[in-house]
Order: sequence, then structure tokens, then C-alpha cells
Amino acid sequence: MKMREKLKKLGIELPLLPTTAVGSYPKPEQLLEARRTMLAGRLKPKDLRPLEERATKEWISLQEEIGLDILVDGEMYRGDMTTYFADNLDGFRISGFVRSFGNRYYRKPIIVGEVRWRGPITVDWWKFAQGLTKKPVKGMITGPYTMMDWSFNEYYPSRREACIALARVLHEEVKALADAGAKIIQIDEPAISTRPGELQEFAIEAMKIVTKGVDAYFINHICYGAFEFIYPGMLELPVDNFDLEMSNSELDLVEVFREQPFTKDLSFGVVDVHSHVVEDVGKVKERIRRALEVLRPEQLWIDPDCGLKTRTREEAIGKLRAMVEATREIRRSLGGG
Amino acid sequence: MELLTASTGSYPRIGDRPEQQRHRQAYARWERGEISGKEFDRIQDEVTLEVIEEQVRAGLDVVTDGQVRWYDPISHFARKLEGCEIGGLLRFFDTNFYFRQPIVVGEVRWRGPMVRDEFLSAKEASPVPVKPVVTGPYTLSKYSINRRGADFDRLLQEFADAISREVGELAKAGADLIQIDEPAILMYPDDFQAFEGAMAKVAEEKGNAKLALYTYFGGASPLYRKFVKLPVEVIGFDFTYSPNLPNTIARLGCGKDLGLGLIDGRNTRLEGERDVLATLRKLLPNIGSEHVYLNPSCGLGEYLPRDVAFQKLRNTASIAERAREELL
Repeated sequence: MKMREKLKKLGIELPLLPTTAVGSYPKPEQLLEARRTMLAGRLKPKDLRPLEERATKEWISLQEEIGLDILVDGEMYRGDMTTYFADNLDGFRISGFVRSFGNRYYRKPIIVGEVRWRGPITVDWWKFAQGLTKKPVKGMITGPYTMMDWSFNEYYPSRREACIALARVLHEEVKALADAGAKIIQIDEPAISTRPGELQEFAIEAMKIVTKGVDAYFINHICYGAFEFIYPGMLELPVDNFDLEMSNSELDLVEVFREQPFTKDLSFGVVDVHSHVVEDVGKVKERIRRALEVLRPEQLWIDPDCGLKTRTREEAIGKLRAMVEATREIRRSLGGG
Repeated sequence: MELLTASTGSYPRIGDRPEQQRHRQAYARWERGEISGKEFDRIQDEVTLEVIEEQVRAGLDVVTDGQVRWYDPISHFARKLEGCEIGGLLRFFDTNFYFRQPIVVGEVRWRGPMVRDEFLSAKEASPVPVKPVVTGPYTLSKYSINRRGADFDRLLQEFADAISREVGELAKAGADLIQIDEPAILMYPDDFQAFEGAMAKVAEEKGNAKLALYTYFGGASPLYRKFVKLPVEVIGFDFTYSPNLPNTIARLGCGKDLGLGLIDGRNTRLEGERDVLATLRKLLPNIGSEHVYLNPSCGLGEYLPRDVAFQKLRNTASIAERAREELL
């Protein structure tokens, strides 16, 4: 298998059905409180660093204890996934409140000038997290299409031009991550199925720019998807692994893959991150078996649907434990563990 | 020909200044049971007055109530209809706004006015005409979960009956212009025949009121010839998705009144006067419309911060002013 070989060449040996997480974990109450104080202007962002480091350490050791194979840093230092990068790039300003639903509001980045990379954004945190464990830690960035779609654009003449400019900037970040030693890099593109026509018009081109010439195993995390509109075209995105939410759609995609075989590696979401209910091991095993109906074991990675930050700590841990245990049992039945 | 400026629907209910946070705070307190529904209603009334005042101050000729009471354009109606329950959140078209999806469990029936009272109090408060907005039957049916298992045409017919009834109520309450929002038809053009039937039904009860059919979040050029034949007096388009639409309209002409969504309701960038005037210059000589409305491409309430929404409307009014001087 080509992608397994790529990982091997990068020096990464993984068991069959590697387990991982998507990115975010719930923040401890003390850190949430400190973030609120910071947003009110009574603390500086750097004052949060000790709390963020402590929380990151805790999640790294929890993931090791639970037995995940590829770890994430938990994003203790990020608020919103778009705003975090916008705050750290030139060319952005942050808007006033925009409504999301019900009584929920958020601030949206505005592209007001040429976007430019000031220097590494996530590399420090990646190094910090990787320094705490021998297991591989994923490098993680928000992709150019999502950065474009989730920002207002006052500067570039079109969505395409904004997206391509962001791709060039994010390429620098990806290079910096790889130079620092990250072998597995995840590019989050939850928005990529928003306007299906744009996949061929420029989203694939943008992803090529981001990943070009960088020696790493790339994962594309896509959620909230209207996948039926971009599949199988999305397989042309130049990445090795797609990380898709499967569980909150009742695994509808399995049927899609029966019709049109999935040709890359797939991180298959086996626990629903929007539900408080912690899945039992039997349920997760059932979902993995469904995945194996349409994927070869060598193609399959196991993870939650999306980041777990909206769950409680106990729910997040419960979901991860069920996931790891179910994976171990299936591995044994496949003779791979 | 008369060129007017109009709101296209919603207006942001909160802003960044402390006194503009009142709606959000009251909503949270009401959800926690700290204030009564009546008290929350009172605050929503006050915020409605505020957003009407802002639209008028921006210089609009036709305003809305800002849809301050709407949870979203779909469930606001469904929760007042018989036969519908309210389900989970779903992305609203290609936006970053989420609506609650109705679940149709029984026969869909009108059981009382849905937006009439909101219209009446807005009308009383506004010094300029108020345009009530109703989500159309096609969009409501298309974005509902059909748990009843009835076929889609049947569902559409029931929603059309209900919306027709509401249009009748609004007309009786004194609405001169009633906007029907049907963005979903742009995504499913093959359904046009069924859509046409539903629009005919909606138009039955309008009395002396004019109906304005508005679509957005998609290209309208391919359906333009069909839109102009519908039994409505005004058709409104989102030009941000349709770079060719001005040419299509200029070529084919237009005998109806037109809503020109040339002001991007989803981006903070303010339109250049010269660009908008250039499009108007192309369009206006080629159409036979009695009234032309310059308006945002969609409601602003879910897509823009409040201060930008105000600037957008003020910009709309000042561009229209210039257009009246130069082009009419």
C-alpha cells in the first residue's frame, strides 16, 4: 500500500487501524475562566501560557494512557479555528458580532489587505506537545478554503483569489511544521463542500499549493459535509487521508463508497461529537465493521467525528476509551494485534 | 420609473456597543428562566423599534421589522403551523448560519397568524412603509423532514395553502407589498413546475397587495424567463451569485417590478458607487418596470455585524440618490 509505505519512509510505524483524534479537547474550567478574563481585556494572551501548557500536558498523558496511536495537542491555545489563524496572519481584522444560530454569535475575520505569513503560528505548540511523548503528534492547521469561506473578503477581487493567496501563506506554515519534524499534518477543511463547483474551480488547486514539495503524510479533515456533491471529485485533493465524520450521518457514506470505491486512507469517525451519550464498545465495533465492508483494513484509521471540545472532559474520555477498546477487539479479530 | 430603496429582510438584533447587547442578554436570561416571556417580548419590541429606526435613518424607502423575533426563516413559520415539530440544526444554504429543521408529522395546516401581529406593530411604529416577509412554501417543504411519508407535492400543497392564508391575513392587515422568500428553488430548478403551482396558490389571497418573490444564494439567470411569468408583481434577485444576470435582464427586458440585490448582504466590503451605477446604467433603459428596488442581496441579520449592516443600507440609499440624479 502506497500510503503505508509513505509513512514507513517518514519513519512512522503504525498498527493496523491506527487510532487518533481530530484536534480539540475540552478546556479545563480554570483555563476557560482565564480566557474570558483575557477577552474582557484583563489578562494578556501570554498570561494564559502556563495554564495552556498544563492542560496540554494533561491531554497528552491522557491520550497515552487511553492508548491512542497518533496524538493531537488538544488545541488548548485556540479559540475559534479560523480566528486563531487570522489573528496570527497579516491582512486580517476581526469583525463585530455575527449571528450563528439562536442566541449564538461569533466574530468573523475580515481580509482587509494582502495576507502574509509573519512566522510560524503552530510550530511552537507542536514542538511542545511532541516533546512530551514518543508517539507521533499531528501538526494541525485550518485550510485555505475554510479560511476564505469563513472570512469576509474586502481585499481580494474574488473568492478564488482570496483562497489562493491563503494557500500560499499556509504553505509556509506547513513547511515550517515539517521542518520542525512533524510527519503527519492535518489540514482542516470543514467548509470545503460549501459550494461544490468551487472544488474543481480552485479548492484542489489551493490544496496543491499548500502541500507542494512538503515531505509529510497529509490528512484532510472535512465535516458538516454535503459529501454527496463533492464525491468522488474530492479524491483529487492532494492528500493521503481524509478524515470524515461518519457517525452523525448514520454512516450514509458507507453506501456511497460501495458505489464508488474510496481510494485513499480514511480516518473514519466512529463516535458522534455532538451527542452527550457515550457510545458503548459494541456500538463502536459495529461502526468499524461497517467501515470494513467498503475499506481494506490497511486504509482505515479510527477517530471521533470531529473535535471533542464541546463535550465534557468525562464524555470525551469515555468516547475515546470506547473507541480504543473497540478498535483493539476488531484488530485482534483481524489478526493484527 | 421610480427607484426605491428597500430592506431585503432581517437586520442584526445585537451590535458591539454595550447598549446593543440588550437582546442577547434578555434572550439568555429568558432561557435561564430569570425573566418572563412577557418581559422578553417587551425587550424584543423595543429592539424592533430600534432596528426600524436604524433602517429609516439609513435612508430606506421600505423597511422590515428586522425579523427580530425569528429564530430562523424556516422554523419561525413551522413552529406556528399544525403538523410540524421542530428538529435539530442544519446549515442554512451555503452560509454559516444554522436553522432548526421542521419535522412534518401530520397534515400541515395554518392555525393562526404567523407574522401578522409583528407586521402590525412594525407598521404602527414606522414612518415609512413596512414590508412583511414570509418564507415561501417551496423552501419550507424542501427544508423540512418529511416524517409523515406523504409525497412531496402533497406537502408542498399544504404549505402553499398555509402561506396563502397568511398572505391573505397580511393583505387584510394593510400590507401593500408582501415579500415571499424562495431561495430553495434556485438549487432545484427541475422542480419549477411544482413551484409554479405553489406560487399560484400563494397569490390567490393577496387581494390588493403586491407580491414580491425574492430568491438568493444562487444563480438566477437560468430561471429568469420562468420567473417573469409568475403571478407576482415584483421579482427580487441576488446578483452576487449571478455575474451574468444584468446582461440577461437587459437582453430579455422585464415587465415586472424588480428587486435589485446589487448590495452584497454577506460581505463587509462596501460597494463602490461607480460599480453599482454602471450596472444600473446597463439595466434601467432596458426594462419596463414601474418600480425598481435597490436592496441588499439577502437579509443582513445573520450575515453582517450591526454597524456594517447600517453602513450597507446607508450606502444603498446614497447610491440610489445618485442614480436618481444621473439615470432617471
